[in-house]
Amino acid sequence: MSEPPPVPQPEKGPHDMGGENAGEIDTIDQGMTFWQRQANALRGVAIGNNVIVLDELRRTAEDLGNDYARLAYFEKTTTALRNLLVEKDIIGEDELTAKMDEIRARFDVPDEMESEIKKGPAT
Amino acid sequence: MSHEHSHDDHAPQTDDNEGPPGEYEILSRAMQELLEEKGLIKAEQIQKKIEQFDEDYPNRGAKVVARAWTDPEFKARLMENGNKAVAELGISMEADHLIAVENTPDVHNLIVCTLCSCYPRSLLGMPPTWYKSRNYRSRVVHEPRSVLSEFGTEISNDTTVRVHDSNADMRYVVLPMRPKGTEDWTEEQLEELLSRDHLVGVTVPVMDEA
Amino acid sequence: MSAFQTVTPVPDHHFDIGDQVTIKRGHPPGHRRTPDYIRGKTGEIERICGVFPNPEELAYGFDGLPGRVLYRVKFKQTHVWPGYTGPDTDIIEMEIFEHWLEPA
Repeated sequence: MSEPPPVPQPEKGPHDMGGENAGEIDTIDQGMTFWQRQANALRGVAIGNNVIVLDELRRTAEDLGNDYARLAYFEKTTTALRNLLVEKDIIGEDELTAKMDEIRARFDVPDEMESEIKKGPAT
Repeated sequence: MSHEHSHDDHAPQTDDNEGPPGEYEILSRAMQELLEEKGLIKAEQIQKKIEQFDEDYPNRGAKVVARAWTDPEFKARLMENGNKAVAELGISMEADHLIAVENTPDVHNLIVCTLCSCYPRSLLGMPPTWYKSRNYRSRVVHEPRSVLSEFGTEISNDTTVRVHDSNADMRYVVLPMRPKGTEDWTEEQLEELLSRDHLVGVTVPVMDEA
Repeated sequence: MSAFQTVTPVPDHHFDIGDQVTIKRGHPPGHRRTPDYIRGKTGEIERICGVFPNPEELAYGFDGLPGRVLYRVKFKQTHVWPGYTGPDTDIIEMEIFEHWLEPA
């Protein structure tokens, strides 16, 4: 005779962490790097312009599952923003990939130029 | 890359211009540019928001507390309606709804957002990294006195520690007790005494030794 | 405590300041602003904040209307955490929407 399945132990979201045990706090404010300031501003402006709603952004952050604990704060918020903009079809994944490639290219030094600069006595 | 660590409110601007941007920076820039191209945001708005967080917001909280310390009627209005009171000082709370919570000899207040990082940004600027950390968010609700000790703050057992988890629409600022010895101080001097950490409740202001 | 002016008018509210309330148990899926650690606990209404659109619906692109009454509720720490080591007078307070509250 089979037994009923066990009583479910519902899980809480990865963000719902009040009451857990955790380590020592780094009490010094590490501040924001330049890109983090930009990311922070982007979030604020997108909300202020009603492109997105703050509650939606919180929800896509909470839906990050195991990545929530793994990602640093601005990595979380940036990923959550991307997921939301794609979900709402405001930005397409393809155009995002293309734009990121374009931005990456602005920082890369082309091979040809590198070898020109490095031309000189052989090491 | 060198980091200067200090207990200052205004954390040093670490600059990661060395080396190529990481993937998240690229993603963030890409989203900004695409939203601009679609006419949904403007570059000037981003710039202005960065400036507000760097220059405007962080200086406001101390002004409000210094005024509350020197003007009891302002303080009463602040306790009744936070947004209306700070508007008297030309401060707009924007979308935030402010509640001031007052420290007394019987009660010490401490603020957290366990679920994310809600914070009165238009009054205090960006929350400090510790406020957003797992360790603070998890522990401060169930072991607040131990957390306070890590910040060097000891509250007597005769004083209630009152933790506020700002989990919905309200945002909180702590009104610390005015330190003994500052009775003759001007509002400007009092403003200088106050730090952001005082207004979140992890430390208490004391009069500086001369 | 001086009289706090609610952020919005609150013409109808189930609970008054001083009422004992218990937070609903259960783990409904989706975006909720009632922390897990407070579900099933009993506290006292500390103030009425106002009426706000329901964040549980805003999170999914709905307008969250009609708005719900938001309260601040105060709890004893020794009640919330069985192992709490601080004084019995220590308190924790947070904001809870009316639909999460039952009379204690």
